[in-house]
Amino acid sequence: MAAATLLAACSPSGGSGGGGGGGGGGTIKFWNMPWGNTEFNTLDEEITKAYKPEDGLGAATYQVIQWANFTQTFSSAVASNTGPAVSSGGGTQAFQFEAQGKIAYADDLLESWKESGLYDDFLPGLLDTMKVEKGYAAVPYNLDMRVLWYNTTLLEAAGISAPPTDWQGYMDACEALKKNNVYGYGTGAGAGAFTGTHALVSWMINNGGGLFDEDQKPNCVTPENIEAMDFVLEMVSKGYVDPASATYTSANVDSQWEARTFGMGYNTGGLANNVGGDVGGELAVMSPLKSPSGKQGALFFPNSIMMYTNTPSQEGSEAFLTYYYQNMTPLWTEGTGIGLPPLKSITETEEFQADPTNVKIITEWQPVARTWAAPGGDALFFDVTAVDGTPAMDTFSQSILGGNTDSKTALTALQSAIEGALA
Amino acid sequence: MATSTVTNRIEKARKGVGVSGQGAPDQGRRKKKGISARAWTLLAFAFPSLFLLVLLNLYPVIYAGIQSVRDGDLIDPGNFVGLKNYTDVLTQPSFWAATRFTIIFTIVGVFGSWLIGLVLALLLRTKVPAGGLFKVLLLLPWVVPVVVSATSWNWLVATPQSPLPMLANALGLGNVLFLADPVLAQVTVCVFKVWVSFPFMMMMMASALAAVDVNVYEAAKMDGATNWQSFSHITMPMISRSTYISWILMTIFCVNDFPTIFLLTGGGPVDATTSLVVLSYRTVFQNFQTGPGVAIAFVMTLVLVIVSVVLYRQIRKVNIE
Repeated sequence: MAAATLLAACSPSGGSGGGGGGGGGGTIKFWNMPWGNTEFNTLDEEITKAYKPEDGLGAATYQVIQWANFTQTFSSAVASNTGPAVSSGGGTQAFQFEAQGKIAYADDLLESWKESGLYDDFLPGLLDTMKVEKGYAAVPYNLDMRVLWYNTTLLEAAGISAPPTDWQGYMDACEALKKNNVYGYGTGAGAGAFTGTHALVSWMINNGGGLFDEDQKPNCVTPENIEAMDFVLEMVSKGYVDPASATYTSANVDSQWEARTFGMGYNTGGLANNVGGDVGGELAVMSPLKSPSGKQGALFFPNSIMMYTNTPSQEGSEAFLTYYYQNMTPLWTEGTGIGLPPLKSITETEEFQADPTNVKIITEWQPVARTWAAPGGDALFFDVTAVDGTPAMDTFSQSILGGNTDSKTALTALQSAIEGALA
Repeated sequence: MATSTVTNRIEKARKGVGVSGQGAPDQGRRKKKGISARAWTLLAFAFPSLFLLVLLNLYPVIYAGIQSVRDGDLIDPGNFVGLKNYTDVLTQPSFWAATRFTIIFTIVGVFGSWLIGLVLALLLRTKVPAGGLFKVLLLLPWVVPVVVSATSWNWLVATPQSPLPMLANALGLGNVLFLADPVLAQVTVCVFKVWVSFPFMMMMMASALAAVDVNVYEAAKMDGATNWQSFSHITMPMISRSTYISWILMTIFCVNDFPTIFLLTGGGPVDATTSLVVLSYRTVFQNFQTGPGVAIAFVMTLVLVIVSVVLYRQIRKVNIE
């Protein structure tokens, strides 16, 4: 492994943009991730290969990039100018590469979309999340929401007629569930389970807090955040949180929902599908809670598609993306399992409206959801990479869920760790 | 024979002088010669391999060395910062915490797996029914991909509904948090490493034991040696060379072991099971700080080399004795 790290350090660096990559013969290399089930990439490839470019522009090739080690895959490819011309990727990937001068800004593309109406088709506020100082780093592609789920059967068995609407109601529901040996705050922050961290930040955002201020500087030790973490620590101390949560993987979390030991908790919008079976049918999304500060909100990830400076033709990249966005609707209407759509026109389709959970998430959660940049802003930026799936956040989450700390100490340690990572 | 003559001959023998008194030619008087055609031919044959060796091993190491004195990331090489990355790393509490766990993990991993491997090798030396089947079954932890075994162990210990926590609960030990409690997580990871590694040690010890002449044991028995005396005075000295080699190899395996830890705990809870290699990975690939991450890897490599040299000297000592 030491050798692997040494080797990993050897990706050739420097050299921005330029031709050569992005596909020989003018073809546009499009790399996409497995965003849904096995049908997703098959259909996505069909859509990509059906692209008929105008004269003089290159066709598109398609490549699936697995999530395993995707950061290394993209980093080494982009550094060696063998990467894609257009790709999706991690939620903060565009901002990471933008800071390295590897991203082709989408301003001209979005300007052209104003004329075609595509620009106005994006859900409110979404495009703003992609705007950095020099322009739009990427285009929103699918939304990965963090929402509060509850098991209808377990709540009913605990004598709760309606899901909670505020923090006190949530705490009361936890107490009622505990009597039936059910944990009211189901979560996990173990190996690769970043949802546990996302949930903690969601509580902060729900209370008007977050990790970054208006100057895009880390600002963790705030009254709002302290109050939010006090709330979580109270749940931990009262036994509403599974004591093993700190090291639960995503699979462990799903198995606890499946075992009906989790009654409520933050998770992705796809929890019911992931759990499946009878229990999957018992799960429902509650409305966003009102916090003591009177605010609502949660964390969300506007996953994006980005264009790279290393392209045989910027015009070709933009032409392909225009085609793709005009023809990507089947990815959502044919049940491929991809996250929520970025376009209003897709949310209005009959197929999308047939799923009440997705409709609830789009209508109630999306408008109040914030990015990592909260509370200072909505637009993402490079420094959020210091909190997205990083050791600092893992340690913070595990210390909170372990319960052997207090809010201020944990948040102060987090502040130092983020500053250290950004130094 | 005069004492001086014996001493003289011993001295000659040490210098490599043969019975005939000729000995090795005096290096100082060796005639200088150019490289022969045969040597050139050999070099030409060896060149492709040497070239690949340098390309695939030396170049990355040199490049990584350069990265370790710069402040770049995976894409941007950054600026030259001298030894700052090393001093930063060596003054971080997280580095020393990871070092401490790496030492514990390595000691338990090496000696735990060696002890179990040795005992099993000794047991399997005796004829037991279906011995071949046992050998195959005992090899499974080593043969099965670590991803599979880590997933199995996660299933065994992770949740209160997992078999081991349920067993602990039934025994009145309460809700034992095998992975969520920092100390228990360290113990679990170390036990997992021993479980994964003992088949390798068993094979090493079995092959070493097979080389021990059974007549030696019979002679010792005739002299009235007990089983323990035979083990401690015959078996252990005669397998010591293989033992040291297996310790060196397992030390390298343990210090460099990433998947065992990362797949089971991810380095948590609260960094309790973060070893140096996990810390290095997280620094490079999660914090995108290539310089400090590679610096950790270099420090690790240096320590490994020192440990290996010390153990290797022990092997030489054994050979001389």
